[in-house]
Amino acid sequence: MRALILALLLPFSAVAEGVTVFAAASLKTALDPVARAWAAETGHEVLISYGGTATLARQIEAGAPADIFIAASVDWMDHVQGAGLINVASRRDLWGNQLVLVGQAGAESFDLGDLPGQLGEGKLSMAFVEAVPAGQYGKAALEKLGLWGAVAGQVVQSENVRVAMSFVARGEAAFGVVYASDALAEPGVTVVAAFPPDSHAQILYPAALTVTAGPEAAAFLAALEAPAADKVFLANGFSLP
Amino acid sequence: MTDWLTPGEWMALTLSLKVAFWATLTSLPFGLLVGHALARWAFWGKGLLNGLVLLPLILPPVVTGYLLLVTFGRNGAVGAWLYQTTGFTFAFQWTGAALAAAVMAFPLLVRAIRLSIEAVDTRLEQAAGTLGASPGWVWLTVTLPLALPGVLAGMVLTFAKAMGEFGATITFVASIPGQTQTVPTAIYEALQVPGGEPAALRLVILSVVVAMGAVFASEWLARGVARRVRGE
Repeated sequence: MRALILALLLPFSAVAEGVTVFAAASLKTALDPVARAWAAETGHEVLISYGGTATLARQIEAGAPADIFIAASVDWMDHVQGAGLINVASRRDLWGNQLVLVGQAGAESFDLGDLPGQLGEGKLSMAFVEAVPAGQYGKAALEKLGLWGAVAGQVVQSENVRVAMSFVARGEAAFGVVYASDALAEPGVTVVAAFPPDSHAQILYPAALTVTAGPEAAAFLAALEAPAADKVFLANGFSLP
Repeated sequence: MTDWLTPGEWMALTLSLKVAFWATLTSLPFGLLVGHALARWAFWGKGLLNGLVLLPLILPPVVTGYLLLVTFGRNGAVGAWLYQTTGFTFAFQWTGAALAAAVMAFPLLVRAIRLSIEAVDTRLEQAAGTLGASPGWVWLTVTLPLALPGVLAGMVLTFAKAMGEFGATITFVASIPGQTQTVPTAIYEALQVPGGEPAALRLVILSVVVAMGAVFASEWLARGVARRVRGE
């Protein structure tokens, strides 16, 4: 009881020595096992705070104690770099991803050009098309393929790509535009078509040390580029840049 | 006024007002019924009802939104039946945003109504009864007028909560410009873009103005009601 009261009164007393990583939410399935393996090997603790890239970038700008920032968008990394908060020499593109169209589990694949017909009266679920990277890539690709005008009225937007995908898994929306890695992690959906890589800007996950990062953080960032980490990320549907 | 707002922001504002208005209006009868029941009636399961009504206040909004999706979505338990029998659906419609806002604000509405009904002197109601008024008439001409300031306060709280509801709305009906993209959703979206702060700030100022307007209007209304209740 006394320990509990103490813990409540001293909420900041137990800050662990270790590496604090701010990472885009879509990386969780692959980054968690890699971080666990590295922590077990080196004895250093890794704390990962997952969130939307925009939220994380604003927190770092506001002085959040991150050692490593892994973004799902080049724009936001540029923004944080412009604010002088990252070690520019340490910046690198760690992984890539692919954009796919998913339907509910068991859906049959079709040519992307048939999307308006396949959609019928149904909804197309996407992340915010003006604000969230997955939505921006998706809108650009649909525009490039000449399909945006035909489907724009049926697009349902969510705050992140996983929520957008859950509408498809639950059958509320007919199709969704998500990353290949997301589709692999959700048994409720099936990939029905892949977007050609040249239909949108390259999807990249840039990472960098912040200006306050210590040597352990640099070691962890290096470990993320090692073949062992690559293997985990490839198995989870990511690609290498 | 329209000049400094983009058409999209203007659409979000009018939609938010529409959603808040209908959320308040449609939840009022239910709020009066539940508020009265909790204040005056003794029945089995009263504690359970009280707990259920308070639930949206305790649950994370995302959970409430998810439960709404599971229940009222096109494939939800109630939603599927509703769609098959009437062709009506809450999914991805502004009506869904209004439902989410109404559910989230319901505890505030019931709380205010319940407290104000509890404060009504039952001897006044009994006196009206001995003079021959039916129970329904007594409620309409004695209980409700005396409880009116509290009812109005509950309605203002509901309206304000509905204007600001975000978590349950986006989880249940996502964000569709003109259908479910309310002011809070538009603010959230603006903050996801580097340099989106000015747009977010405009919308924030706008919601503050609307909320203050609602508060002043209710104060003015409540003063009028109080004067009438005192018989001036």
